[in-house]
Amino acid sequence: MGFKIAVVGDQETVTGFALAGATYAHIYTTKEETLGKLGEFLASDEIGLVLITHRVAEELGYDFLWMMQAKRLLPLVLRIPDKTGYVPKVDELREIIKRTVGVEIMIRKEGG
Amino acid sequence: MAVPLAVPPTRMELLKLRQRVGLAQRGNDLLREKMDALVIEFFEVVRRIQEARAKALEQLSVAHRALSMCFAIMGTLETKQASREAKRELQVEISTRHIMGIAVPAVEVEEIERNALMRGYGLHMTSSVLDEASREFERALKLLIGLAELEGSAFAIARELEKTKRRVNALEYILIPRLKEAIKFIVMKLDEMERENFIRLKRIKAMLEERE
Repeated sequence: MGFKIAVVGDQETVTGFALAGATYAHIYTTKEETLGKLGEFLASDEIGLVLITHRVAEELGYDFLWMMQAKRLLPLVLRIPDKTGYVPKVDELREIIKRTVGVEIMIRKEGG
Repeated sequence: MAVPLAVPPTRMELLKLRQRVGLAQRGNDLLREKMDALVIEFFEVVRRIQEARAKALEQLSVAHRALSMCFAIMGTLETKQASREAKRELQVEISTRHIMGIAVPAVEVEEIERNALMRGYGLHMTSSVLDEASREFERALKLLIGLAELEGSAFAIARELEKTKRRVNALEYILIPRLKEAIKFIVMKLDEMERENFIRLKRIKAMLEERE
């Protein structure tokens, strides 16, 4: 069954992905409104993937993280950089590795 | 120090406890093996994520550059208008796959690159930079969808890994020490009772001998 794609972010990101065929879009306005919209996206059955810019995700703060914890397997949520290429310094994946595997921190330079 | 369980010091209880320790230890070994397997799986996914992410972010920045170009040449309003007119019916196939009993998402990407006619915006008012930007964004989206699948898997596996680790720790550091403590308590108590009995018998024997 086919799922649609939603985008939450700034004007440029939303415009770009709309051109690429994303069905739903929300341009970040206020925290409350965006949270409401995001909740709607997450609750929807026809959306399979939500793209959200790192900047907006950070703006939403704990409410966003809480939503990530509470959501079902679908829709997938992927954080992407916006046009400035902004990525937070703390790599979340690395945090997870640290928490689950112990104190191990990966430094990977080579290909395998 | 583990708090011992409150158990009656009987031989029956001792046998039961020994059985429980055996079971707990077997469970612990199994969980440990599961954890190892999960860790291997997890790192494999993480490795693939890093490759996919680098590629996707690269493509995304290319796309943004193309879009900025488009904004500059065609004008912001016109570009936004075109994005509103564009056909926005992209569908992705998402199902769940199971890795060692964990449901992870599996995404199938059909061809999402379209030609300019299929995009749906009017051609006579738009410039070729718009086509360019759209194409780059379509490519970026394709990579991002792949990345989303991998990240979804990583999160699912990480969550399971955390759960398993908790269970292993609970068994290893709480339940098994407690059971062992209880066994020790019963063994000591039984020995003590035996000694008491022995002494009692000796006393009685001595008393009987004295009476004669």
